[in-house]
Amino acid sequence: MWLKRLLILIPLLLTAILLQSYFWVPTYETQAKGNPKRLLKYIEASSGDAKILNPILNADSASSSIVGMVFEGLLDLNENLALRGRLATDWTITEQAYLLVDPDAQLPNGKSATAARLERLIQHALDSGSLPELNGVLLHIRQIPSEVRTTTVEVRTPDENDQPKTTSVAVSINVPERVAFMLSRVDQDFFHRLTPIIGEQYGNNFQLDKYIHITDPVDEIVETLVKAQFPSLLSVTEHNPELLFHLRQRVKFHDGQEFNAEDVKFTYDSIMNPRNISPRTSDFEPIKYVEVLDSYTIRMVYKRLYSPAITAWTMGILPEHLLNETAMQAEMDERDLSEATRETFGMRDSQFNRSPIGVGPYRFVEWQGDQFIKLDRNDDYWDGPPEYEQYIVRIIPDLLIQEVEFRTGAIDFYSALPHQVARYREDDTYQNFSSLGFGYVYIGYNNRKPLFANPQVRQAMSMAINVDEIIQYIMYNEAERVTGPFPKVTEWYDESIQPVPYDPDGARALLESLGWKKNADGWLEKDGKIFEFNMVTNSGNPIRKNIMSIAQNAWKKIGIKCNTQYFEWAVFLKDFINTGDFDATVLGWSMGIDPDLFQIWHSSQAGPQQLNFVGYNSPEADDLIVRIRQEYDRDQQRVLTHQLHQVIHDDQPYTFLYAAKGTRILDKKIVIVNREPDGTEQYEKIYPLKSGAIRFYFNKWRKLEHTPAF
Amino acid sequence: MAQARAHSGLLTMWTYIARNILQRIVTLLIVSIVAHSVIHLAPGEPSQVDPSNPRMKPSDIENIRAAFHLDDPLHLQYAYWIRDLFTGELKSFKDNQPVLPKIWQRFLNSLPLLICATLIIWSLSFPTGIHAAIRRGSVYDRSTTFTAYALISIPGFFLSYIMILWVVDTFNVPVIGMKTFGMEDADLAFRSMDRLWHLVIPSLMSAIGGIAVLSRYVRSQMLEVVGQDYIRTARAKGLSEDTVIYRHALQNALLPFVTMFGFLLPALIGGSVIFEQIFAWPGLGRLGYEAILARDFPVILTINFIAAVLTLAGTLVSDLLYAVVDPRIRLQ
Repeated sequence: MWLKRLLILIPLLLTAILLQSYFWVPTYETQAKGNPKRLLKYIEASSGDAKILNPILNADSASSSIVGMVFEGLLDLNENLALRGRLATDWTITEQAYLLVDPDAQLPNGKSATAARLERLIQHALDSGSLPELNGVLLHIRQIPSEVRTTTVEVRTPDENDQPKTTSVAVSINVPERVAFMLSRVDQDFFHRLTPIIGEQYGNNFQLDKYIHITDPVDEIVETLVKAQFPSLLSVTEHNPELLFHLRQRVKFHDGQEFNAEDVKFTYDSIMNPRNISPRTSDFEPIKYVEVLDSYTIRMVYKRLYSPAITAWTMGILPEHLLNETAMQAEMDERDLSEATRETFGMRDSQFNRSPIGVGPYRFVEWQGDQFIKLDRNDDYWDGPPEYEQYIVRIIPDLLIQEVEFRTGAIDFYSALPHQVARYREDDTYQNFSSLGFGYVYIGYNNRKPLFANPQVRQAMSMAINVDEIIQYIMYNEAERVTGPFPKVTEWYDESIQPVPYDPDGARALLESLGWKKNADGWLEKDGKIFEFNMVTNSGNPIRKNIMSIAQNAWKKIGIKCNTQYFEWAVFLKDFINTGDFDATVLGWSMGIDPDLFQIWHSSQAGPQQLNFVGYNSPEADDLIVRIRQEYDRDQQRVLTHQLHQVIHDDQPYTFLYAAKGTRILDKKIVIVNREPDGTEQYEKIYPLKSGAIRFYFNKWRKLEHTPAF
Repeated sequence: MAQARAHSGLLTMWTYIARNILQRIVTLLIVSIVAHSVIHLAPGEPSQVDPSNPRMKPSDIENIRAAFHLDDPLHLQYAYWIRDLFTGELKSFKDNQPVLPKIWQRFLNSLPLLICATLIIWSLSFPTGIHAAIRRGSVYDRSTTFTAYALISIPGFFLSYIMILWVVDTFNVPVIGMKTFGMEDADLAFRSMDRLWHLVIPSLMSAIGGIAVLSRYVRSQMLEVVGQDYIRTARAKGLSEDTVIYRHALQNALLPFVTMFGFLLPALIGGSVIFEQIFAWPGLGRLGYEAILARDFPVILTINFIAAVLTLAGTLVSDLLYAVVDPRIRLQ
């Protein structure tokens, strides 16, 4: 019966046709099957799409990873996280310092100060060897005659409807004579070293009112506000660090145009252009001016001491010829924009951000929204072209799909979640790299609340918590204890500081010595009040939620009553963190490479909306924080950061918990390719740097057809 | 006389069709109005109008709202939508791309999945169903019944995830998406086989429910027919069992399935939202789902409208087909 046979044959045939396709598809082991080019593509996944591919505007991680391949900065970080020249071949940091002549000041020798006298005295002291620290540092002294400057000051006052209103007020400054010093290196204690000549009190009674005059007619409120800004207009001493870059020559942008100093200046100008709303302004605002000396030499003069400003030059450099006024006009004409749009048209609106051009190892090819971004190798890259021909970032929001695609070889890299790490570590199909991240998790106590004002109380709180247990059960051992505010992978972290020991009995004894006695219900009580507070965190983060439960339970054991609450992230920030209206909280910080802790720990940053929301206030720490950001010498900085680490550890404004480890899983067939002079290739296993980073040699990475044996 | 009867029969048929189409157009109008109101009354704003975006100035938001007619009364918005839909000028709120080409592109992506799944369902259900009916009460019959009910009860997305993990873990082959990423430079043969392979698992997973239901349906139809007098007559004539089953019984049992072809049409749209989502298949169902999340009103409404058109057309087609294949059914 033909129908019967047909009914059996059709499904069999269909199944056969469908299933035979399996034999044509590449697997993890045979990725080059029918597709040898696969070995020259590096494919990575990202949970979110990139937003804006512009080094001065991007703020999200997907954009940053692309921007880092397409653009290049003047500097970057080397194997030891120290600065290394890229578009700059070398750089020097010097300083111009200025001392205002205060005619009312009396010098230690009894005479009044004049520029000529100061110059003579200091030169004499230098020549006679009584200022040994400045030998070889102070290169040149000169006098600057008095001058008149005019400027405008902006103040904000409420208008009749209580809305903020900005008023510009013209002021004229009679700058007195000055003495200028040229220093071979930045020295934040330079003026301190001059005390034997100028005296301890020099400049302390400098009367700004005598030198600054408001030239516009203003009312009293505005006048007070303007006067409050006088100290920023004229100061007795001024440090002007200078950064001189020598730039690499014959480096070309992807469109063939040669890179030069004008591009660097343009990049700076674009960041500071308010129309562009760049998130990088705070790093570049301390720059007084940028001066192009010739096509390959550029100097940045800073208004004040601010060492993180140097690291900021790792940011990518923009091509001036594609984004300057003329280019923007051309783009507006081409896109036929209306007058209204032209009014507000800025770099943010340019098509450049969707098809960027830089000098980096890869050039931009294609961006399919929510699908992928594709880059091609830049064969003219100044440091030699990379091994991979293509660099592709796929947008895969679902982590499960990311993992599935990784295991089939359709992406090359996967970031394992803590609970998956053990499985991958045993699996020798892949190579895995574990390292500590730059972040840490902590319990923060509101130092302003009377309950937590005493550092010993905070010490006892920390002693009651078994952090190792948290690491073991919540983080699956994929974390390490931390004792202070610096990332553990940097040299700023002092490894010698021991964590607060887990000691509930000690904690109870410590609290008892402070007057907290156990009452009939088992709670600690002092002056008729029991030890009770609220701890808050954001919802949607199971790890923080679990930490709260463990801490709550640990404190309960020693008689402390802790109530916990979760709030949606926006509400949590708005109602608790930004207003400082909480007792304790579980949160995490993700730190940068710089040792600057000003925003998180300085007492001036404890206002509403600021980052020192726990209200930590220690004059000793404040002083160290300021000295660290003014110090340009790495060794000196390390000494200072270790001191700061100790101070903060002793005060325990937070219970520092752990720094999480990140585990990156990589296709095992990816290796470092070393090319010998005779043209042969040597393969080397990928190895992590001291900081844990593996991508440092990315340009030498390539995938082999079969797993190599080392 | 016979000619006149045929003529009048044809006439009744045409009036029947015309009346039906008219009725369906009215239904369509009501459906589109209801859908439009429901979607606009639901909370949420199109993603471009995002007041929490710090880069959005109030004037920008006003401009966008004005361009989308979001502040006009609902009936006007409906009129604008209908006008733009039929002039082909309808644009997505999400990326300002024309809606119809976008839907067409996604439809082309969904089509192979649907065809493959349908082929699997129909070609597998009949042999299994018929066999179960012939061997009623046998171990085979009972085990297929059990399997069918199990497959109907287990949610498809769950089975799909298990399947993905199993295939990936055992064979290390890609199963997600329409093709393996990074195959653009491969030979044509490898590329087409790769596309075929990527069809296999998602279409199989979306077919499983269908196979389970349809094979049960085939079985019960066959059982019903096999019990009829004319089958007994056929057997009494001494025809071979195969002829009885596959010619006499099967032909009659097939009749109701004709109508099911009609329902294939709306399945073009709604059938595979879940599977397209799980397998990251850039098809029509996923487009609709994403449009709902982004409150992309023009896309949601247009897909909804097309789904309504296809459903109504589908019912019309099955009505007509039934009348054609089953002489017992008369047009009135």
